[in-house]
Parts: sequence; structure tokens; C-alpha cells
Amino acid sequence: MTTFITRRILQTLAVIVILSYVCFYLMSLMPGDPVDMMVASNPKITAEDVARLKSLYGLDQPTYKRYWNWMTSITQGDLGYSRTYRVPVQELMGPRLWNTFLLSFASLVLSLAIAIPLGVISALKPGSRTDYFMNLFSFAGISIPSFWLAIVLIIVFAVKFPILPAGGTQTIGEGPQSFWTELMDRSVYLVLPVLSLSIQQIGRFSRFTRSAMLEAMRNDFIRTARAKGLSRSKVIWQHGFRNALIPLITILALSFSGLFSGAILTETVFAYQGVGKLVYDSIIGNDYNVAMISFVISVSMVLLMNLVADIAYGFADPRISYQ
Amino acid sequence: MLNKFAKGFMLAASLFAAQSFAAPTNAELKIGISQEFETLNPIIMTMSASAYMYRMVGRSLVNLTPEGKWVAQLAKEIPTLEKGTAKIIEEGGKKKIVATWEILDKASWGDGKPVICQDFITAREIAISPTVSVGEKEQWTQVEKIDIDTKNPKKCFFKYDKAKWDFYQLAQFFPVPTHLEKAVFDKYSKQKEGYEKNSNYVRNPTNPGLYNGPYVVSEVKLGSHVAFAPNPHFYGKQTNIKKVIVKLIPNTGTMEANLRSGTIDMISVLGLDFDQALAFDKKTKAEGLPYVVHFVPSVTYEHIDLKLENPILSDVRVRKALLYSINRDDLVKALFEGKQQVALHNVSPKDPWFTADPKIITLYRYSKREAGKLLDEAGWKMGADGYRSKDGKRLSLAFQTTAGNKTRELVQVYLQNQWKQSGIEVLIKNEPARVFFAETMTKRKFEGLSLFAWVSSPENSPRSTVSSKAIPTSANGWSGQNFHGWKNATVDKDLDALDLEFDAKKRADLVHEILKLYTAEVPVLPLYYRSDISVTPKNLKNYKMSGHQFYETNNIEDWNLN
Repeated sequence: MTTFITRRILQTLAVIVILSYVCFYLMSLMPGDPVDMMVASNPKITAEDVARLKSLYGLDQPTYKRYWNWMTSITQGDLGYSRTYRVPVQELMGPRLWNTFLLSFASLVLSLAIAIPLGVISALKPGSRTDYFMNLFSFAGISIPSFWLAIVLIIVFAVKFPILPAGGTQTIGEGPQSFWTELMDRSVYLVLPVLSLSIQQIGRFSRFTRSAMLEAMRNDFIRTARAKGLSRSKVIWQHGFRNALIPLITILALSFSGLFSGAILTETVFAYQGVGKLVYDSIIGNDYNVAMISFVISVSMVLLMNLVADIAYGFADPRISYQ
Repeated sequence: MLNKFAKGFMLAASLFAAQSFAAPTNAELKIGISQEFETLNPIIMTMSASAYMYRMVGRSLVNLTPEGKWVAQLAKEIPTLEKGTAKIIEEGGKKKIVATWEILDKASWGDGKPVICQDFITAREIAISPTVSVGEKEQWTQVEKIDIDTKNPKKCFFKYDKAKWDFYQLAQFFPVPTHLEKAVFDKYSKQKEGYEKNSNYVRNPTNPGLYNGPYVVSEVKLGSHVAFAPNPHFYGKQTNIKKVIVKLIPNTGTMEANLRSGTIDMISVLGLDFDQALAFDKKTKAEGLPYVVHFVPSVTYEHIDLKLENPILSDVRVRKALLYSINRDDLVKALFEGKQQVALHNVSPKDPWFTADPKIITLYRYSKREAGKLLDEAGWKMGADGYRSKDGKRLSLAFQTTAGNKTRELVQVYLQNQWKQSGIEVLIKNEPARVFFAETMTKRKFEGLSLFAWVSSPENSPRSTVSSKAIPTSANGWSGQNFHGWKNATVDKDLDALDLEFDAKKRADLVHEILKLYTAEVPVLPLYYRSDISVTPKNLKNYKMSGHQFYETNNIEDWNLN
């Protein structure tokens, strides 16, 4: 197992380096560098200004050299400087990554807590009224565009019945507060974005759970377990659900890998200070340092969660072994 | 039980609903903006939202009023040649200006330290440093040297590198507190971008000593909000509003919901799109909402650049026909309900240089007949398919703008239809703003027509958009914004003379000569002057939008919610 994990971590690091170079190179191919964009917005920038800025930003160097400089800074713990916001990248991204994590994690936990029981119930009574109702709910959840739902939630809960804030991350200007007061304040601001994100995820997860569970409950060992006189809950959860876990782990691993990627539409509509819109703006604005760090985080999370999923398969199904 | 709960919920909701429309008071004002902002370091900031906020916390020697008049702000008065506070000198065969600036006795930073001439010297030293990424250095290098009066640290002599009439227009020449920023600059000046990363504006932005305006920054969260508290050391009158919060709401579609829910109290000039403002204005009137939607003419000039190297567009008769074919009066009525004004040329009616005199400029009233006549003369004959052609080639032009800009896309469709009626085929080829501005326009890759806007300020030389030296090329690093490629020797001569002309009447005459050629040769199709929009609570008094880039926050100390 240790050899397997070490080998996978080394592979992961190699993939991150290769993909980061590819991404860096692709970004350099995008039309207009940061100085071109500055020139387009300021009529008074002269040819001398252009030459000076390109040299200052290192844009007059070949891509591989710029990538090497960037990589060297990263390994020294310097994530670079955002040319859009004029602050070091770690200061810009740190709080936003945490906010995005809170939003995505809360939404994922809520979705799983609702979707898995719904999927299991649905699978245990296929074709029943409950199953039809659950299916309708799931398909509706999957079909509703999250930005539309977000706007409806704002209109209902912030404008018509103003019981929740329309947007933001926390109450502004409250100063230092106790842990619990701050937790409560932040939770209030999370309700609508979490709801907006979760509805779609609940639909998706409950559908996956239902089909995996249906498949598992058709197996011979379920019939054997029942014949042995095991209790209904033992048959469902120990034998049925455990076997349904393998496909679910894959889906979950992919969902966890997106915890730091941000939900751009939800964050934008709710003016939630997360990383989603920051990443979008940094790519559009050619803010290399911010875009590259977010890219590395995304790639790392995908690779890491795949590794976690591979390990989890072994726990869920002892027939799977690692060499 | 359920019924009781529902009744309770409805009661609570109606109470909250009543609260959300409660008028804001002087205790707090929350302003919504939809554009991102950066750190408020006046030397390096470039975003409009930062400039909007900086006017609350920082003042410069002079400012441009909403009426378009330059007034002293941190300075006691504006130096002039007439008063002898500015004089033209000759140095090495070159004419220069030396102007005496004296800072207000009461002008102080938020920590009580006085604003002195050294603060301008420090700002200039930082701005011209090769390790600091200031975009346009000229606004700082135009002042060659600053000497301080030996007896008065608030009195100084600015020596300008050229004897230009607009030497006093130093609205962007902001001071920085030497007692806070000099040490940072000295320590990091050799590191690339070292000052920017370590400036107090980044590391300690709530230090009141960084600001000299009516407010100081009390809280900053990039990407979310900035909170402002009154500056007790402000030289002017103390603010009426005790706390101001500027909140970023990136989605303009939810701006109205945020306003109606009480999350914000007003929407700044950097908030709503034009169509959203029109819709909200109607709702405000129909529902009797306690808001005022302001539409104020601005200096922003929406126009179409023509690629003059295009063989079709190189013929002035075709260019004129394009202009005669479009009913711009109808366009502003149909799309903007008359709340934006038809443009005659690149100088807006807010500018003292504006003229609508038909003896000076050529006016183009909508006339399909005139357009047809000009196109016939140019050899473009109407075919059976409803399009004109010459030598077997159809009169067809590519038309580009920023994709996703709803207003511009509507204008495009409107114009496309009008040109079709004159037999001109226009093919829309839009691009994302980033590609359109940073590549297609800057590198002059557009082929026919390009729709976008210029933002200017009153009495601003049009050099960057009409001088032949401002045509972007690889040799000049693609700087300059004469994208259409207009070359006119008289215009170039007038532009050079304009910079050096100290007589206001003669300056206006020079600009009028440029406008005469601009409207006669039609290198650009003028469309309309945009209006600035904002939404304020009904009880906000002394709020005056400027319509130019020196935002209304410049007189925030006068705003009153009582």
C-alpha cells in the first residue's frame, strides 16, 4: 500500500508540472498580454511605457523562461503578485479559497445528507409513488439552472420576505466578534448560496445512489443474506449499500476535487467573495499569477481526490488490492 | 398549528418588508458597485472603481467640477501666467513653465501630520522608478523638478518639462504620505515591484495616515467591500454621513434586488447597465419606490471607427453615405428613450470646445436620398437583390464590437437594418472584449467598422485618437489610439499648436478647425454621447453627478441624508 501511495504521489507531482507548463503556454497564446490591455485602456501610454512595462513584467522573454521564473518563485514560497488587484497572490486567494471551501463543503454535505437517503429509499421501492415523486424531484433539481434558482431565491427570501441577506459573505463593519457570533453571521449568508448549489447536486447524487443501490440489491448475495435471516437494515446498509459505494466513491471524489474551484455563477449572483469569479477574471484579465495558482490547486485536487478514491475502493471492497 | 406558523411568518416578513424600504440616514450609506477594485494606492491604481472610492479618501491639488471647471482643492489657488504665479522660462533653448503651488494650511493626513510639498516629491519619485509598474509615466515626468520654499514646507515650485497651457491640470498627481511611504520605497525600491507589494496601501490599508480626504478607510476586503469612516483631520467641512460602505455586487442583474432588499442604499455610477436603469426608472415611478434614477450626459463618446485602408471605406463618399443612411435621432429615441444624446463629433456638449455650428462643422441629417446619391456617384449601383455592387463586388463590410454587450449588440442590429435599406451589406463579427480591445483594435486587425466608446474629459487634446503619430504600429509598440488610421497634416499641425496655446479663444478655434476636418472627412461615424446612470435614495441631498472621470464622490462631504 505504501509503495502504491508513494508511486501515485510522484506521478501526481509529475502530472502537475507537465500540466502547469501546458497551461502556462496556452495562456501565453491568448491574444493580448497585460500590457496590451493597459495600452488599449489608456490613450496616453507611450511606446517607451510599453517597452518598459514589458521588460518589468518579463513579457519580453520566451515562454519557457517565464515559466521557469514562475516555478522558481513558487518553490520558494512566493506565489507572485496580482497585477489586477495589486496585491500578493497569497493574500488575495487565501480568504477566498476558504470562503469557497465553506460554500462548496456545506453544499456537498447537505446534498449528500439528503440525496443518499432519498436515493436508497427510491431504490428500495422502485416504481412506487415514492419513487416517482423522488424521480420528479431529482429531475427538477438537475434541470433548474442554478443562476435562475439563485435569482428566484433572492427575490423570495431577500426582497419579498426579507428574512435572509441578498448577498455577501458576512455582515460588513461589525468588527471583531466571538467565534459563535461570527459563525452564526456567516451561516446566515451561506443559506441561500448553499441552497442554490445543493438543489442540483441533490438531484444528481440521488439519481446515482438510486441506480447503484438498485443494481446492488439485485445481486444473489442480497437474497442469501435475507435467506440467512439477517435484519432488513443489515441487508440494506451492510450488504446493499456497501456494494453500491464503489460508483458513488468515484462521483464523490470528483465532487470533492471541485471544493476549491469555486462556483462562478452562484458566487457572482450572491456577491459571495469566493475564488470562482476571481479565477474567471484573472484568465480574462491575463492575471497570470492568480490564474496559474488556481489552476495548480484545481489539478492537484483532482489528482489527490482520485488517489483518495482509489484507496477508498479498497476499504469499500476488500477484493480490490494494491500492488 | 401550521396556520399559526404561516400567519407569524407573514407578519414577520411584512415587518421586514417595511424595514427594507426605510430611508437610509446619516448613520450609514451603503453604495453598490458592479466593477472590481484594487488597492487604493493613488500612484498605481488604474481601475475606475478604485478612482471612484479614492475621491472619498484622497484629494489632489486641483479638481474638475461637474460643470467642467478646474478648481483648486489641496492647493490655495491655481497658478496662472496672468497672476504671475506661473511663468514661462527658457532652458537650453526649450520653453518650460515654473508654477508656484501652495498647499492649504489645514490640509493634513488622517493621522494629523500636515500634507507638505515633500509628499508630492515622494509620490513622483516612486512613480517614475523603473521598478514600479505605473502605466503612464508622462503624468509624473511632465513635472521635471519640485523645489520647496526654504521657509514654508507647504509652498513649492513645479518646473514642467514643456510650456503647455494645461500645466495646472494635475488632478491625477496625488501626493503620498512621506512619513509612511518613503521608508517602504527606500527599502524595496531595488526589487522589481517591491514597493507595490510592501506599500502601506497593501500591508496596512486602514492606517488613517495614508489618506487626506473627508474619509479614511476603516475596512477593506478586495472583491467584497470597502468601509469608510470620517477623517477628523480633513481640511474641509466634516462629513454628514458617519459611515460609508461601498459593496461590490458583480452581477448587475441582482443589483436591483440588493437595493430593494436594503442590502445597499444606492447604486453608483459604476453599477447598472443602461437598459436596466431604464427599466428600474419605470418601476420606481409606477410603484412609487423611494429612489431617484439619475441620467446625466457624460463625455463618453460612442462611435464607429472606420478602417480607412479598406478600399471601400477609403472613398469619403461611401463614409458620408454610411452616416447619411442612419437615423441617429430615431436610434436614441427607440433604444434609449431619448436619454442619450446624438453625437455630432468627438467633443461632447459638456466640453467648452463643443460646437454645433453648421458654419464650422458638417452636420449629417438622416437622408436615404443623399446616401443613395453619394453611393451612385462612387459607382456603387443598386442591384436586384437589394444590395449595391461595383465591378461585380458587393458593397459589404464587417461590423465588430464587444460580444455580450447588450446595448451595443442592439445598436448593431438597428444600424445593420438601416444600412440594408441603402443597399449596404453589414456582416456582424463580434469578439470578446479582451480580444476586441487588446488584439483587434490595438493591432488594427479590424477590417471595416468597429463600434466602441472613448472616455475623455473636457478640454482634453484629441491627439491620441486623431494624430497621425498615434496610429498604432509594431514600431511604436502598438501605442496610440488612432485605430482608423486617419492622416491629416493640418490636424497634426493644429494639435501641436493646441498644446502650446495659452489663449482660450485661440485654443477653441484650433479645436474647431480639427472638428471641421473631422466632420468633413468622416474617419469615424459619431453615434451618441452616453449618459451616466446612478440610483440614489430620495432623501439624499447635494448629490451631483459629474459625467466625467472625476467622480461625484469628490464632494461626498456635502452629501446629506437628513
